[in-house]
Amino acid sequence: MAAVTRPRIVIASPHRYPDLARLWFRGVSRGIVPSLQEAGLDVEVVIFRDAHVDEFLPEWFPGATLEAPGPGVRDFLEFYDAVLGLDSDYLFLLDADLFFIDPDWPSAWMPAFESEDVAAVSFLRRSEEPGVYALLCRTSAYRALPKPVFAPAYEELEDERNTVNRQPGDVAARRLRDGGKRILYADATEAETRVADFHGTTVIRASREVFGHLIDGPVFEGLVSRKRYFAMGAYDNALLGCLYQAVFGEPFAAGPGGEPLGGSVTVDVIRRELALISDPELKATLETYFVRSDEAILRLAGVEEGEGIEGIEGTEGTDEITGIDLKLPDLRPAGWRRS
Amino acid sequence: MKTAQALRVLGPGEFYYKEKFGPDTVCRGAVLLECEWDGGTVEGGALMGVIFRSGDFRGGTFWGGVFLGGTWSGGVWESGFDHTGRYRPRTDHP
Repeated sequence: MAAVTRPRIVIASPHRYPDLARLWFRGVSRGIVPSLQEAGLDVEVVIFRDAHVDEFLPEWFPGATLEAPGPGVRDFLEFYDAVLGLDSDYLFLLDADLFFIDPDWPSAWMPAFESEDVAAVSFLRRSEEPGVYALLCRTSAYRALPKPVFAPAYEELEDERNTVNRQPGDVAARRLRDGGKRILYADATEAETRVADFHGTTVIRASREVFGHLIDGPVFEGLVSRKRYFAMGAYDNALLGCLYQAVFGEPFAAGPGGEPLGGSVTVDVIRRELALISDPELKATLETYFVRSDEAILRLAGVEEGEGIEGIEGTEGTDEITGIDLKLPDLRPAGWRRS
Repeated sequence: MKTAQALRVLGPGEFYYKEKFGPDTVCRGAVLLECEWDGGTVEGGALMGVIFRSGDFRGGTFWGGVFLGGTWSGGVWESGFDHTGRYRPRTDHP
């Protein structure tokens, strides 16, 4: 009798920092991987180490394939195309700072691929296009596209008023639609409770690493009050650091001397810089974002080993989930909305 | 008759955000974030998210910007786009 071949799926994620990858892999290996296996899939996790290659300790990533830059895969954006070439029926691209609260949500969408015209499912998008933040792809559909498949691009550069910056995966999505394929989108409201996503956490750390040492510390830290994306990344790193410390008992995004968040921006500095923001529109935007981030990290802590998440079947009242009672750092200055 | 303009030097420790620089500028260690570079010489420093219209890039780091024109003579290409809008990964400088 011929052996039954299980459909194969590769979960792929590029990471620059091993501590964030460690936290990310903990969630994936405990949740999504067994869920997809129970759904009948053969699962492989591939982590691309975009930098700090030797600091990704193999014991932190049991069972995962650790890749590194090399010819043809020079950085994390080329990695997306390289991993598409692996032997798999499905490719699940996941952002480094994205966590599934409900690990069964991806496998629940697998039946959607029974429709031959479905090329992908996007669980989270931050614009009109699906992005590659949490994109479950049918590999055959994407492999049929011109290379590079996932690369970002600028269009209409010669006409500045109409220049468009296509994010990774955007061009592929348009080509798929033009070819009669469909990309399905998970409901955004539902995603709020089933996914915990954080923004800009790697950008601010990479910025500190690449050019922070070339300028005075306070000048770099001042970017938190000047650039929205830096404020979001700094805030989210502080939350992730809180959870990381609780889970692993070690500092997150440590600086050269090992100080917590020294490789990002410390709690005191975040509070100081936020207090300098005078633009009411920016302040309001950040207040809303911070409330959302607080809720996301608390949900993530809730499924660490905890009581489960109310409303998500299978997580309520289970023995395996006991939860972490996370005390969030005081990041907001006086007068900022807290909930 | 042309009048020689004084060379503006952007030195180590200096930081510029959303500023424009012309041909009489040389970058020798400064950090430029989301600026426009048009005609000068980059000898060192870091250009992050910079629109490089023209000039000579001889040293330093280019990260996440658009290299519309000019000459690449040396330095570290971390990532960015060329004049056609194509993404060029790490080391694949124009």
